[in-house]
Amino acid sequence: MPSTTPARDSTQLTLALQRVAGGDRAAFEELYRRTCVKLLSVCLRILPVRQEAEEALQEAYLSVWQRAGSFDAARGSAMTWLITLTRNRAVDRLRARGRAVQAPIELAEMVPDPAPPATALIEMAQDERALALCLSELAGGDATLIRTAFFEGVTYAELAERTTTPLGTIKSRIRRALLALRNCLT
Amino acid sequence: MTGGALSDDDEVLAAELALGLLTREEARAAEARAVGNAGFATACAKWQDYAATLFSGAGSEMPSPSLWGAILARLPANDTAAPASRALRGWQAATGLAAAAALVFAVLGLDRAAPPPIIAPVPAAQAPLVAVLTGKDSGFVTISYNPGDGRLTVAPQGLVMGQHSAELWIIPGDGTPRSLGVIAAAAPGWRAAPRPASALIAAGGTMAITVEPLGGSPSGKPTGSVILSGKLTAA
Repeated sequence: MPSTTPARDSTQLTLALQRVAGGDRAAFEELYRRTCVKLLSVCLRILPVRQEAEEALQEAYLSVWQRAGSFDAARGSAMTWLITLTRNRAVDRLRARGRAVQAPIELAEMVPDPAPPATALIEMAQDERALALCLSELAGGDATLIRTAFFEGVTYAELAERTTTPLGTIKSRIRRALLALRNCLT
Repeated sequence: MTGGALSDDDEVLAAELALGLLTREEARAAEARAVGNAGFATACAKWQDYAATLFSGAGSEMPSPSLWGAILARLPANDTAAPASRALRGWQAATGLAAAAALVFAVLGLDRAAPPPIIAPVPAAQAPLVAVLTGKDSGFVTISYNPGDGRLTVAPQGLVMGQHSAELWIIPGDGTPRSLGVIAAAAPGWRAAPRPASALIAAGGTMAITVEPLGGSPSGKPTGSVILSGKLTAA
């Protein structure tokens, strides 16, 4: 068994995805074996009911099969492409089941995003650690807004509605937060 | 920093696109902008990486063993030139019935044109049993059960469950429903029929689907109304 490194894994994943684009079912199975645990965790983060998460995962892989040709290795990693596509399928499903997620977002100078505990940080990959730390440095509530948008597929208009904040206010607030995040991460 | 001339507006736009904050039209416009603008495209890729990183951890749970089979069953046959732009939803709408039919044919071994599957099916020792469950609403579910390997294939069409689960029951001659588990309402799937209820699946028996709380009936007996039912016949 050859030893695997993240770089090697990434290259093999890219190759597998490119072969899937050519209709290679064996490559598709290899891709599934390499990614199904991670992509199930993506679905579960958005759809905590296991069966729904698995249904979304199934749809995600069907999309992978259909759209592998649009993956461009020059523009990003295969794993990011797969996660983005899977997130979109899971969010589609979340949104499709109606207005189920409408919980108001409590912003009243809420507590800032808690910094992850040191033990959790140690277990995170380097890029995950950097992002978690930078999110924890944002002003109170901003990280929650960003996470809500991403994990629930919520646009500015709905964020404004759910926080009972004017649209312009919520937009400028998030834009400020995104620039702060960029400055922290670069 | 190379290409550091990116404006704050573009930086934010790239982030908004990656995080899903834009409306459909705005997102399309942003994607179009990335085509002719290398600096902006790079920023989009960077933010997409950040966004993907929000899903921290490698994950710890394996999908159900049946999931891969369900995916294979839904792959368009001989689809070597996968269309890149067609949305799954459109594809599903157009081929939902065909996919359901193809699934049943695959189980029955009739689909000779299909390429050999990666997971070889267990040869059927006995004739499979099939049932089409219908109700007063438009949805229906096609069921196939292979007594040879105990595999139960369920192909739903137009089943909308919302915040409920669809649970499948076998009702044999004694009239007492036994659960065969919760079924996926949105997509065809297959699995081993749970024992001992599987022993009761026989021609002439009735299958029914009830509306149950998410995850299925807590008591093991149907608690919601029957929305679909049908008789099993030998294929």
